[in-house]
Amino acid sequence: MSDFSLLMTHGVFHLFAALITLCSVLVVMSKHPVKSAVFLVVDLFLLAGLYATLDSHFVAAIQVLVYAGAIVVLFLFVIMLLNLQPEQLRGLKFSAVEAGTLVISLVGFLITVVATFKGDQTGLGDGSLDPVAIEAAGGNTYVVAMKLLTNYIWPFELASVLILMAIVAAVVIAKKDKKKTSAPIS
Amino acid sequence: MVPVDFYFVLACLIFSLGLFGALFRRNLIMVLMSIELMLNAVNLVFVAAGRAIGNVDGQVMVLFVITVAACEAAVGLAMVIALFRKYGTVNTDILRLLRG
Repeated sequence: MSDFSLLMTHGVFHLFAALITLCSVLVVMSKHPVKSAVFLVVDLFLLAGLYATLDSHFVAAIQVLVYAGAIVVLFLFVIMLLNLQPEQLRGLKFSAVEAGTLVISLVGFLITVVATFKGDQTGLGDGSLDPVAIEAAGGNTYVVAMKLLTNYIWPFELASVLILMAIVAAVVIAKKDKKKTSAPIS
Repeated sequence: MVPVDFYFVLACLIFSLGLFGALFRRNLIMVLMSIELMLNAVNLVFVAAGRAIGNVDGQVMVLFVITVAACEAAVGLAMVIALFRKYGTVNTDILRLLRG
């Protein structure tokens, strides 16, 4: 890899990382949920970009389609539906110093955990699927699909059951109470 | 490739921010959005680690995580709507029935 392309790879990563961190802060700190949802969309798009730099094209596409396209739209629908009043959008309860201390200590702790456990990578994989091998085997999407529909076929089928349960549960929970709605008519 | 540690550190940052939001925000919708942020940090670790050790199982796992996240968002938001309809608020200072 040439120096220039190495520089570009690092530059893109650091630019994306800085933007992702900024957008995450804005998601958490925005007073109004609509602003948070919009920054969440930006965040998810940037993460999809990072997935693409990691040669995970299928995951990047799914991230944009499902996360940014479906889940955040669901959030926006609910925010609009509830039409929250300003006094319910009150911000944080703790002071910024307390909260900042907590986040910084948590980051330090997690980095320590990662540094402790990252050394030993034996037994995690045979390393046979490096990008060149994946390209030779038919591309990222093909390889992921082969894994998904052979090794992971049972979790894949169970996921469909889970989604069905979630659909039914969401409808039942969000449905209006029948007794209440029919009371004024009778 | 950028060293995998950088991705881990970034994921740590996102996860911490998400946990911070889930703990300190007083709006149920904001809590759910913070949980999505945390799930995304985990996804980033899966993909980066899988790429580093030459394995696509991490990407398969990310697909399952996204599925579960979609279900969680749907059911969670349905509960938020039901709570709002019953109590007229989504503030966790007021909705403290299970806090004891």
